[in-house]
Amino acid sequence: MKRFLAVRLALLVPTLLGVLVVTFLLLYVAPGDPVQAMVGERADPETLVRLRRELHLDESLPRQFGHYVGNILKGDLGTSYITRRSIVSELRHRFPATLRLALAAMLFATTLGLAVGIYGAWRPGGWVDRFLTLGAYLGISFPVYWVGLVLILVFAVQLRWLPPSGSWGFIYLILPATTLGMRSIAVIARMTRTALQEALQSDFIRTARAKGLGEARVLLHHGLRNALLPVITVLGLDFGSYLTGSILTETIFSWPGVGRYVLSAIEKRDLPAVSGSILFLSVLFVFVNLVTDLLYAKADPRVAYD
Amino acid sequence: MACGPEGPGRTLEYYFTYDPRSLDPAFSTDVPTGEVDALLFDNLTQFDVDGRLVPGLARSWEVDPSGSRYTFHLRTNARFHDGRPVRASDVEASYLRALSPRSLGGRPWPLYPIKGARAFNKGEASGVPGLVVADDSTVVVTLEEPLNIFPKLVAMPATGIVPTPTGEEFDQSPIGSGPWRFVEWSHDDYVVLAKNPDYWGSVPLADSMRIRIIPEPLTQAAEYERGGLTVVEIPFGETRRWEERHGAELKRRPTIRDLYIAINTTRGPLSDVRVRQALNLAIDVPTLLQTVMAGRGLQAHGVIPPGITGYDSARAPFPYDPDSARRLLAAAGHASGLSLRLWRSQRPEYARIAQTVQQSLAAVGVQVEIVQRDASSARSAVRKGEADLFLTDWYADYPDPENFTYPLFYSKNAGTGGNYAFLNDPAIDSLTVRLRTTVDEAEKARLAQETDARIFALAPWIFLWHPVDLWALNPRIEGWDIPAIFNGQRWQQAHVAR
Repeated sequence: MKRFLAVRLALLVPTLLGVLVVTFLLLYVAPGDPVQAMVGERADPETLVRLRRELHLDESLPRQFGHYVGNILKGDLGTSYITRRSIVSELRHRFPATLRLALAAMLFATTLGLAVGIYGAWRPGGWVDRFLTLGAYLGISFPVYWVGLVLILVFAVQLRWLPPSGSWGFIYLILPATTLGMRSIAVIARMTRTALQEALQSDFIRTARAKGLGEARVLLHHGLRNALLPVITVLGLDFGSYLTGSILTETIFSWPGVGRYVLSAIEKRDLPAVSGSILFLSVLFVFVNLVTDLLYAKADPRVAYD
Repeated sequence: MACGPEGPGRTLEYYFTYDPRSLDPAFSTDVPTGEVDALLFDNLTQFDVDGRLVPGLARSWEVDPSGSRYTFHLRTNARFHDGRPVRASDVEASYLRALSPRSLGGRPWPLYPIKGARAFNKGEASGVPGLVVADDSTVVVTLEEPLNIFPKLVAMPATGIVPTPTGEEFDQSPIGSGPWRFVEWSHDDYVVLAKNPDYWGSVPLADSMRIRIIPEPLTQAAEYERGGLTVVEIPFGETRRWEERHGAELKRRPTIRDLYIAINTTRGPLSDVRVRQALNLAIDVPTLLQTVMAGRGLQAHGVIPPGITGYDSARAPFPYDPDSARRLLAAAGHASGLSLRLWRSQRPEYARIAQTVQQSLAAVGVQVEIVQRDASSARSAVRKGEADLFLTDWYADYPDPENFTYPLFYSKNAGTGGNYAFLNDPAIDSLTVRLRTTVDEAEKARLAQETDARIFALAPWIFLWHPVDLWALNPRIEGWDIPAIFNGQRWQQAHVAR
């Protein structure tokens, strides 16, 4: 276990270094002038030259990269060119909103996905199974943007049940969490259905039934526990992507999370903000994957770390 | 209904499409910061909702006969939100702060005309000799050279007056002297303001104001339809639907804005005025305006829009005349046609405009390749002179003809300064300088008209239109109108009708 953790943590170093290099180079070669974006249309050329010098943007590529990596090693993700605030504090302010949304989306997708999958495995081929499976597949087929706007039109504008934007309580979470979680339902349902069906054919299930255990206990305790391994993998990957990739959902529902911050930073060529955010999100993604692997082993003691 | 926790209509609900960069006027380079700073801070002068220059902290001002020495007389009853009186020394300190080399990335150019301001900004001088505090309520400003727009420059957000000292985290929790005081800012979510009951001018009729950050137009519309926003701007593509469903709630105002295609006058065939005129004649602007923008615009027949000194309503726009366009191209030696590249950003309406222009120009033998980039990249290429044509727009910083002729056509502003046509015409340069310096208003109007006529004749743009703003106002709210300039609405009169 300890060796496994050490190896995984050691692997973080080249991974994050790669992220740093690629992000830095992408922004460097991308057209557009960060200094012009910073000072607006009517700045005179002298001001632009002075700012480039003060921000080290007139230096060679390796030197700029050196400055950047040097600051990161000191735990400093830098200061935004646009807002002049520390990127760490910008992310700290926005991450709780992203985490709240990701957890709610995960809860929604897991509950619905597991329910559809379990029912499908229990009563495969029936009309209810087909209807639920179709519904789940529709969820994954429609683009997030479209789903979000339709939900706003129906539930916020027509029915007036839910607010179309904002982040000030449980009721504000429902539409964005549904939009974000929609695409995971089909995957979780499919995984659960297949794995549970397979488990239900096993000898230990037959034994359990022969011992006279109730169907619910057989299904949920013995069957589902053994079918959960692939589902945990999917949940882990999806949760990581919810934390790092909810830009569209956050934009549609005016959710004040990290995704919108990254998008805004890219639009404004705010180089330190983009690099810092991507580095933060990469660390987060790798960490979630690591936790998923640990949970995987917890769910199935037969999984060896070596 | 626009309402807040204190009761129906006590809170006005407004929105920005993105988070303000800062609430500190010294760092105001974007529209949301400019708008919110107009609520929190006062300037020496300010614009009213119709774009007229009116007294702000300065109750009056005068200029000497040379046109380069302004004396501002401050009102004595103005106080900052923490109770401190606003003094002339605060004006000096605010300007020095905005000009300070330490204010990295600010937008101090409105103060550059002050004698010694540039040297101070570069860190080459320890003070600004052109800025003198005569007494507690008098500031005397001497400029490097005569400049008649200076009183308008000190109405711009970057020249807002802040208390001395400003205190910690001023950009996050500012103290101003404006009609609204700061309460709370949750980034990418909202800014909350409360009325300033001690304001020297009209005290806001509503108790508080919440400015939401809502980037998506459909979400903005949904919030308005549910009563969550007091006003909403209608996107061009939604015009017809809103006219049908909410006609009585709509308000219109022609903007002081140009939508145009800059023609790089230094690139090959485009240096010939006949080619540039042909491009103008080949496009059916009224039809384009109707089909793409639902008629929300006034066809441009010059660079100066209606409502601005120098606008000439008698001048005829370029007619739609493809035959004449072909003849002009042939006379310029391009009878067999030519190929151009039209750059544009990703704004949805630009896609449709660019495609229609492409078809219209193809009909007279001009093949156009459309180059689409994000706004920052497109502007970067255009500033370097790499684009033949560039579809873009210009919002006035302040309502004055100078703000259209100087940045957009003065030769020294070619490229980076805003002259995307790279026009270099000595006559326009001379007219523009006189337009900036004369102290005679009638002479200024005449010069503006003459400059505009010359620009139109040289056709450095494909002149399209001046867009018309369309907003919906909650039917229960009174006292609000679309401002002519972005920082001209201070929300003092907006209230729920009884």
